[in-house]
Amino acid sequence: MRDQTLKYLLVVPAVLVVFATAVWPLIESLRFSFYQGRTDRGDFPQNWLGFENYTWAFLYEPAFWNSVWVTGLYTVVTVTLTTLFALGLAMLLAPGGKLRSGVQTLLILPFAMSPALIGVSFRFMFNPEFGLFDAFFGVVFPPLADVSWLADPDLAFAVIVMADVWGWIPFLTLVLIGGLASVPQDTIEAAQVDGASGWRVFKDVTLPQLMPVLAVVIILKAIFSLKTFDQVFMLTNGGPGTATQTLSHYIYITSTRYGQVGYAASVAWLMVIPMMVLTYFYAKFVFKKD
Amino acid sequence: MTEQSTVPTTGANSEFWTGKRKQRLWRAVQTVLILIAAFIMLIPIIWIFLAAFKSHVEVYQLRLFFTPTFENFGTVFEEPYDLGAKLFNSTIVAFVTVVFAIPIATMAAYSFSRFRLKFETTILVVILATQFVPAVVIILPFFIMFRDLGLLDTRIGLIMVNLAIVMPFAIWMIKGFIDGIPMDTEEAAMVDGSSRLQVIRNIVLPMAAPGLVTASIFCFILAWNEFLFALFLTNREATTLPIGLALFRGEEGDLWNLLSAAGIIIMLPMFVLALAIRKYFVQGMTMGAVR
Repeated sequence: MRDQTLKYLLVVPAVLVVFATAVWPLIESLRFSFYQGRTDRGDFPQNWLGFENYTWAFLYEPAFWNSVWVTGLYTVVTVTLTTLFALGLAMLLAPGGKLRSGVQTLLILPFAMSPALIGVSFRFMFNPEFGLFDAFFGVVFPPLADVSWLADPDLAFAVIVMADVWGWIPFLTLVLIGGLASVPQDTIEAAQVDGASGWRVFKDVTLPQLMPVLAVVIILKAIFSLKTFDQVFMLTNGGPGTATQTLSHYIYITSTRYGQVGYAASVAWLMVIPMMVLTYFYAKFVFKKD
Repeated sequence: MTEQSTVPTTGANSEFWTGKRKQRLWRAVQTVLILIAAFIMLIPIIWIFLAAFKSHVEVYQLRLFFTPTFENFGTVFEEPYDLGAKLFNSTIVAFVTVVFAIPIATMAAYSFSRFRLKFETTILVVILATQFVPAVVIILPFFIMFRDLGLLDTRIGLIMVNLAIVMPFAIWMIKGFIDGIPMDTEEAAMVDGSSRLQVIRNIVLPMAAPGLVTASIFCFILAWNEFLFALFLTNREATTLPIGLALFRGEEGDLWNLLSAAGIIIMLPMFVLALAIRKYFVQGMTMGAVR
């Protein structure tokens, strides 16, 4: 067989699978979003609504705006905290040596943990009666000892942030260690010879060199923060009330509990748009090298 | 940061804080910080490990020292929890997903790596982008379709949607591995009269084998930990391990010792697999955006 034919034949199955499992559902969701699509009726979807699902979300659903706010805040806070902590940890661990590479190996573990399980373990630790944090604060700072973390809207939000940051620091750290390794050592040394302080060397030499890698991990983390569902479901299930309800969780509830799949699809598509923007920038970074 | 960069240049006005002494102190501070970070990273995991070997009563006593019991690991496999069925589902679903995904991805990856195709960049970007589509968007049409086809709560249904998660990673990861194999051997074999398919079978596949194993393990972990699809699509027969965690919410609250035992069964095999491929874990996740 000629390569000219073969090269396309080899790609066909993969393209078909990706199309069927990702592109088709994306388009089908868009179609759903223009219909009344209730799951308690026999046929699906039902009436054509045009943009009514979208206007409904914008005008009449405080719960939608709440989940937009929660998701936005969650994304900004988790991306910032994860990046800062990971950058610090990467600087600490980059030089290598026994202790440091041992800890680098440990960093794989949280990343291989199911996010749902991370949610469970944090709910466990923040249990007000016998959780680890209860015991910890009982000794260190008694006023915080009997706080019902997950019953307070702000604290519950803080806990889902902590769980997420805990789960993502390792990955970002490992990527940044890789990035630090590619910062030319002689530039750093030259700056030191010129008498620059440790902070100046970091700010003026290391950080600019690290920017491309930093940009990639920030975009990647933002994408995953926007999608967050698993830990939230297991930790707070959106509660108390809707204080920790992310967009994914809101879509889950409206489609399964209330059977409003058409409406849920419109909200889902509102979520796809910022995702496409982020993906555009991410793809630019990936293909810039070639 | 290297040690040289911490050499004091400003603010060292007393003899005491200059030179070696400050350097040594800074190194000690670093070590302490690293140990604290490692401890924080391990705490939730250690906490689960401890609770899994405690009795129901001991969980509520917060003790660090106790007589370990293996009872929980037995209880989770009994009725009404029946974790064995979930373990079976998780294994089958993740395994079959990988068995389908890897050969298909390898074929495509080889072609992307060795040939110039029309719309190649576009296709690769679309494949990359599908990784970022929120799972809730993908699942809605599948939920409706499976409801009409009677595929809800089946392992086949779950495997189909899991391909959506695994495929982009598999294609990009394997493409990266094949990119790293020099083309000379292939060309030499072609000159000697081998066909392209023979070259792929006899030269490329053996050389790419470690990469294929790595990609398989990575995809297995992704499918194993998958939660949202399984939550939408399954309720009894095809539930996987992460969904099984919800079983241990009794009327009297969470059964933490059983939850922890189930947690260990979920995470321990993945720890082993992840450590086996740890060098490639980061590359796989960033799909070649970072090397």
